[in-house]
Amino acid sequence: MPETPFEPKIVAFLCRWCAGAGADLAGTSRIAYPANAVPIRVNCSGRVEPEWVMEAFRSGADGVFIGGCHPGDCHYVSGNYKTRRRIYLLKKLLAEMGIEPERVRLEWVSATEGAKYARVMKEFVAELKRLGPLHLEREEKTMPASPVLPRVGS
Amino acid sequence: MPPRPRIAVYWTGGCGGCDVSFLELGPALLDVLAQIEIAFWPALVDTKRSDVEALAPRSIAATLVNGTLRTEENVEMVHLLREKSELVVAFGACAYQGGVPGLANLATRDEILRRMSGNGFRPSPPPGGEAEDAPPGLLPQAKSLADEITVDYVVPGCPPMPPLIGLLLGALLSGDLPAPGHVFAHDKALCEECPRTREERKLTKVVRPHELVPDPNVCLLDQGMICLGPVTRGGCGAACPKAGMPCTGCVGPTPNAGDPGLAMISALGSLARAGEEGPGAFAAEDRLLDALVDPLGTFYKYSLPAYVRTGKRSDR
Amino acid sequence: MASPAPSAPSRSAGPRIGVFVCHCGKNIATTVDVPRVVEALASHPGVVYAARHEYMCSDPGQDVIKKAIQEHRLTGVVVAACSPSMHETTFRTAAEEAGLNPYLLEIANIREWCSWVHDGPETTDKAIRITRAMVEKVKGNHPLEPVEVDHATQCLVVGGGISGIQAALDIANAGYEVLLVERSPSIGGRMAQLSETFPTLDCSQCILTPKMVEVSRHPRIRLLTYSEVESVTGYLGNYHVVIRKKPTYVDPDKCNLCGECAKVCPIRVPNEFDRGLSQRAAIYVPFPQAVPSSYTLDEESCLGLNPLRCSECAKVCEPKAIDYDMPEEMIEEDVGAIVVATGYDLYGKERMAEYGHGTVPDVIDGLEFERILSAGGPTKGEVRRPSDGKVPKEVVFIQCSGSRDPELHKSYCSKICCMYTAKHALLYRHNVHDGTAYVFYIDIRAGGKEYEEFVVRAMEDERILYLRGKVAKVFRDGDKVVVWGVDTLTGKRIEVAADLVVLAQAMVPSAGTEELARKLHIACGGEGFLKEAHPKLRPLEALTAGIFLAGAAHGPKDIPEAVAQGSGAAAKAIAILAAPTLTHSPEVAEVDEDLCSGCVVCVPQCPYSAITPGDVAHVNELLCEGCGTCVAACPSGAMRMKNQTDAQVKRMIQVALGAEPVEVGRA
Repeated sequence: MPETPFEPKIVAFLCRWCAGAGADLAGTSRIAYPANAVPIRVNCSGRVEPEWVMEAFRSGADGVFIGGCHPGDCHYVSGNYKTRRRIYLLKKLLAEMGIEPERVRLEWVSATEGAKYARVMKEFVAELKRLGPLHLEREEKTMPASPVLPRVGS
Repeated sequence: MPPRPRIAVYWTGGCGGCDVSFLELGPALLDVLAQIEIAFWPALVDTKRSDVEALAPRSIAATLVNGTLRTEENVEMVHLLREKSELVVAFGACAYQGGVPGLANLATRDEILRRMSGNGFRPSPPPGGEAEDAPPGLLPQAKSLADEITVDYVVPGCPPMPPLIGLLLGALLSGDLPAPGHVFAHDKALCEECPRTREERKLTKVVRPHELVPDPNVCLLDQGMICLGPVTRGGCGAACPKAGMPCTGCVGPTPNAGDPGLAMISALGSLARAGEEGPGAFAAEDRLLDALVDPLGTFYKYSLPAYVRTGKRSDR
Repeated sequence: MASPAPSAPSRSAGPRIGVFVCHCGKNIATTVDVPRVVEALASHPGVVYAARHEYMCSDPGQDVIKKAIQEHRLTGVVVAACSPSMHETTFRTAAEEAGLNPYLLEIANIREWCSWVHDGPETTDKAIRITRAMVEKVKGNHPLEPVEVDHATQCLVVGGGISGIQAALDIANAGYEVLLVERSPSIGGRMAQLSETFPTLDCSQCILTPKMVEVSRHPRIRLLTYSEVESVTGYLGNYHVVIRKKPTYVDPDKCNLCGECAKVCPIRVPNEFDRGLSQRAAIYVPFPQAVPSSYTLDEESCLGLNPLRCSECAKVCEPKAIDYDMPEEMIEEDVGAIVVATGYDLYGKERMAEYGHGTVPDVIDGLEFERILSAGGPTKGEVRRPSDGKVPKEVVFIQCSGSRDPELHKSYCSKICCMYTAKHALLYRHNVHDGTAYVFYIDIRAGGKEYEEFVVRAMEDERILYLRGKVAKVFRDGDKVVVWGVDTLTGKRIEVAADLVVLAQAMVPSAGTEELARKLHIACGGEGFLKEAHPKLRPLEALTAGIFLAGAAHGPKDIPEAVAQGSGAAAKAIAILAAPTLTHSPEVAEVDEDLCSGCVVCVPQCPYSAITPGDVAHVNELLCEGCGTCVAACPSGAMRMKNQTDAQVKRMIQVALGAEPVEVGRA
């Protein structure tokens, strides 16, 4: 049986004003790109928590994409700057953990850059194919076990 | 008069500090000892594994385990104690989330053994040697107590502070027990207890404790020290920040913080400023954050096994 | 085509989610196997009803949703269809009509983000993942009620060109106060510089100045010229604006325009209004009909005010209007809406290396030619060339200079150049009867009422030579300007030894547009023009609520379009100013007071100052815009985003990656 080629799994967090609208424009313009990423819309890239990135990795993602507004264009003024610094630190941590920092990609995509969204998606999928699968699936045993250690409420 | 409750205290892979921490109760310890029967406490009284094995299931009222799980023997013992105990308490940071010995998970077991054998340590009995001479087998990775057995309560801290020990003992002796899973510490972060002022809420530099004599009144984070106070449960009275040392997170994260390292990354990334935010500041911001050496060791000093799956998986 | 889910869980306490998948005609159904999506979602835990429809947004489609909400007592709805920017409101309104709180309905975007961009079998798989993730979100949603907000009832209009003037007048005439800010000393904008307008050849100033005067006399318009927007904070209905009014050093109430000051002023600098073709003093009035009708002392070119070096102008000023100590003013106002009408510049001719880099004096741009044609211009309306004042006998007009040239310049069409070039050539021929006019063009774009007729008139009646082709090079040769081009219809090389060359330069956004956009938190497109919320359906609105676009700042436009957009933007602004209250989204951040330690990490994250520090932080839900930056920053998870909690997003992540959905209600 021929081995099926590795198709990386990606979660993409897109801000609604720029990257999400850019992804909309890629659709309206019918610019094709690989279907590996499942997008999740947030108001601002500043809403994206480093914890979500790790949650995605633990849930089987090979890469995580975050799309925000270009510097100076953030609909909420400066959320993208916060995200940039958080992701910078997160990548340092990932490197220490032995996870390739390239598996997290932060890109500025404006509402007019449908073609850019498609292009970076293609690039990211190619990059992840080069890196190969991550296999950081959750191992319940070694995670703090519920209910003794409730981790996240709300 | 009802029989005094049987208590066991066991020490797995730890430094012994948790056992010593009981002494911090002072004269109150004598009152406590008078109200309990010690079933098993190798650090304090001469009790053997066989004594535990002889006990009926669930005949120990509560077993307090301190230390990380590192050897096969640790695992056997905690399973045995679980069987014999009504309640099991993870006592101290190691049992709770792996503790300082858990940082060893950054290396594989083989790497650890190679390093130790260089220091004269024998990983297996020499040819012809007695089997009893052999040290117990090392687990591939350090584990927290909850990784192996069901844990009813947690007393966090490295070591647990007297007020937190007091909360546990009070509950055990009064029989007024909280819901399973309870952590004997505050739900709010220790900033609540910290007297330092927080006005200039930004991080303009990152310094290590030895690089700065901090202002006695201003938040250490605002002075550039990586204080994990905002993500760490209170209950310790903010003892370290009060003494001018940043919190290193020994009490563990607040109940809704999630992964404390990732929560701190988010907070520190948000607070970091190198002048006016914008592309012109990007390079300076990166340099500022680069001064945070070893984020893994900083954020997970007491909890690596609980949160971090490292890329080192050669023997997992 | 509605199909009920095969087995509906009967637990009354658990979630009862309905999933509605749209075919969107062929738009989704061609690449996504819609029945399979319905089937997959029908068996998703918590989903009690799943259906599909040809067009969910149609009335019958919406009826399917409304009926199911009532019949199946749904506690949440996911519509898998187009982008939420299209129909989120449509479907949420429908849900509300059926008795379901609108915030319990979410859109799964399987068109723009899926069916339109993929075509393999993985397209259906991705559509299922997107929809399942959204079901997980809806399971965690709570019913919310919109927040009511009071608002300011005056409007800020930025830019005093024709578009801004029209917007200001329409808003003021509707009964609302207007703050009209213009950065130059007079309103009037580009239209005031034009000689005649196409296609009617009306005198531009003659039709404009009555409107300028109306602005100056309007009781509800506060005109701030020589002023710029310093900062903008706040949100829809409640913007706080700070305007910096530079000192003109002349009291407009006292100035009687006698002009004695300019006569004695020792300084002469190029006159911006005449595009540098004439000179003005340091104290000047840009043009006779300026509004406000007052002189302005240009601090930059004056010999010096501090210390005072000259003071000749004050000595001759009879009404004592000159005040060298006039301070700069900072004016702060609250406005409910903002109209941005900051206009255009011409693409610099110095960028045209092939046309002489702007160094050949007799190669001019269209606006310079307008000034030459203008009766009030540097040549009093006689066509004379800048270098030696001679009447040019051969004039070459070059269209698309800098436009439609993606390799070297701007890729877009500047839209008005075909028309004004025809007008220029025609007016030239009216002025210089024995002159010859050549027009180099790529295409003639004369879409507009009576535009084509106007161009035909120029070609046929005025015998202007239209040559289809691009000009390769323009250079000076003695007192001639030589133009090398090709007539692509005959294939012949053409060389004209012209006396004057007029470049129809591309339109670009006026200088400072990007900076202003940044202050307003609105977006510019790739070429720097302000970006509208939707190119077809919301062409007057910026993406930021309460900010509207008018005129050429939004893209190349002619006068009627700029006026129409000014009126349109005014109507949009009036809709806000006239509303009794505005509603604010309830999807905002909130603090869990049991978990907040008062660490204050959140406070500096908020761009709207919506968080008050204290023992526990407090969020002002009127000020919160819902970005969630504070939520991510909160180290102890005490700050929450309503209907987008961490727990919800984590479930979305797990399900998006294919984790088996877990029954909610589990410990």
